[in-house]
Amino acid sequence: MIRSLDQMVAKVLSGGRKYRIAVAWAHDDNTILAIRKAVEEGIAEALLTGRKKEILKNCQAWGIKPENFTIIESDDEVSASADAVKLAKTGDADIVMKGLAGTSHFLKAVMDKEKGLMLPGAVLSYVGALQLPAYNKLLFITDPAVIPFPGLEQKIAMAEYAIEMTSRFGIEKPKIALIGASEKPSRHFESSAHYEAMKKMAAAGQISTCIMDGPLDIFLACDRKSVEIKGVKTPVDGDADILLFPSLESSNPFYKGLMLFAGGELGGLIRGTEKPVVLMSRSESEKSKFYCIALACFMA
Amino acid sequence: MVLKSLSDLKGIVSGKPRKKLVLAAAHDQHSLGAVIQAWHDDIVEPILIGDARAIQNICMEYGYNIDGLQVIHEPVTEMSVERAVRMLNGKQADVLMKGKVGTTILLKCVLNREWGLRTGNLLSHIALFEVETYHKLIAVTDVAMNIAPNLKDKIAIVNNSVSFLLKLGYVMPKVAVLGAVEMVNENMEATLDAALLSKMNQRDQIKNCIIDGPLAFDNAISYESAKHKGIRSEVAGDTDLLLMPDIEVGNVLYKSLVFFARAKVASIILGAQVPIVLTSRSDSEQAKYDSILLSAAASN
Repeated sequence: MIRSLDQMVAKVLSGGRKYRIAVAWAHDDNTILAIRKAVEEGIAEALLTGRKKEILKNCQAWGIKPENFTIIESDDEVSASADAVKLAKTGDADIVMKGLAGTSHFLKAVMDKEKGLMLPGAVLSYVGALQLPAYNKLLFITDPAVIPFPGLEQKIAMAEYAIEMTSRFGIEKPKIALIGASEKPSRHFESSAHYEAMKKMAAAGQISTCIMDGPLDIFLACDRKSVEIKGVKTPVDGDADILLFPSLESSNPFYKGLMLFAGGELGGLIRGTEKPVVLMSRSESEKSKFYCIALACFMA
Repeated sequence: MVLKSLSDLKGIVSGKPRKKLVLAAAHDQHSLGAVIQAWHDDIVEPILIGDARAIQNICMEYGYNIDGLQVIHEPVTEMSVERAVRMLNGKQADVLMKGKVGTTILLKCVLNREWGLRTGNLLSHIALFEVETYHKLIAVTDVAMNIAPNLKDKIAIVNNSVSFLLKLGYVMPKVAVLGAVEMVNENMEATLDAALLSKMNQRDQIKNCIIDGPLAFDNAISYESAKHKGIRSEVAGDTDLLLMPDIEVGNVLYKSLVFFARAKVASIILGAQVPIVLTSRSDSEQAKYDSILLSAAASN
């Protein structure tokens, strides 16, 4: 079982494979620096779409040798996004990553019915692997980035994506905590009803192998001592591998709070696509950006 | 003035007459320990109402010295709460604290129209967090009381919180209205409310503070993150008060900060005639003590 993001990186490095990463509108130094690290570590080959002149200027400013990168000329962020997706579609790239292109332009290209990368009928979502000093293993979270208010079907897809990812990390029967404000179902929140349905489905084998319980608050999900004090009986037992959140509103401050205040690092990936798609926020740390790229390689 | 740590609250309390704290249903080891410690430290003058024999037994068992402390014998839980509330209604004390009684019973008494502690304001919960990596305390509301506040409720919650911060010595506290994103999104009600609250503040409909929102958690807390995203805001990176969209979000954030970021926290209920200390069993001894300290600082 892989317990940290560095162990995951080590696994990718030992694989000795170079992954071809197409970056959409690679115009900001943030992206260039993150991808440079991946290239230097020997896990990636970079294909950058955008205005060649600007990309070269950026490389020069950071002292990066441009011969490390293949540059594909695109005029604007829309066509750069389409070009990057196309490279993955035709098999010329293994991974697609968003550069400075706006998220909505980028996702539009990814989700394009004909030219995009969506698996048939799949839900587009996001799974993050959060590494926290105060937790003894990785904590997988979904969905901190894409779906604002997931319905039942989307929540099931989110659970499946997270289970799939944890199994790659060597967790056979992940414990999934369905997160709420308390362990009691609430008539004010639709998620309570969704959770009841999901638990039944998991028990009936309609969801891949896992141990699922909810609603649980963060203490009951992640802290065995709280479970004891409160005397709540839950198979997750304060030892969650996966936290499934009821909304983006709750998951987003959760992970950002832990990145800022609890020394957390995140590797995260879009799910539901034929090939891994990397989408990260500009404000994420250098380290987390590299983890996102490494995770894409790991899952490719 | 802003507060940098919870111990700064001691500076507010010291040198002033001790506030009288009434512990309702006082036969409760969890709250007694903290109350007695606060008494020994000259922070409050407690009045214990509850089953006197049970109180004696607890004090014997845990070695609490309560010589010279006022104990009113009232073994019936509901009655002990009513007596406590009536005492506060008659201005004979300054702070109410919950002992071994359910929150519902306590609040029912607090909201009694004849002898309760109503002010016409909404009751709301506020928590002050001390986190190592932030340059001052951060107040968060509402993580425990209002389930899904509408715009009107949010205005009341901000007003409660701001007048509380002013009592602690803040001048024009900076209020960030939390969203999952920093853009107004017509599908996310929290972002619409955030925009309205900001505008109402600009037009002086909500006074004595600077409100901005929506802000995502990282923009609210980190100046760097806000700069990365090109957000111009007086509040971003320097937030004093974070307004939560609902209890699900608030609860997740509260518990993740306490568990993963080892945050210290103090919390009280606002909106009644007096501050109410309403801690839960799973709060640490320190959190209970700090909450009592906070109630003393906030009462005048």
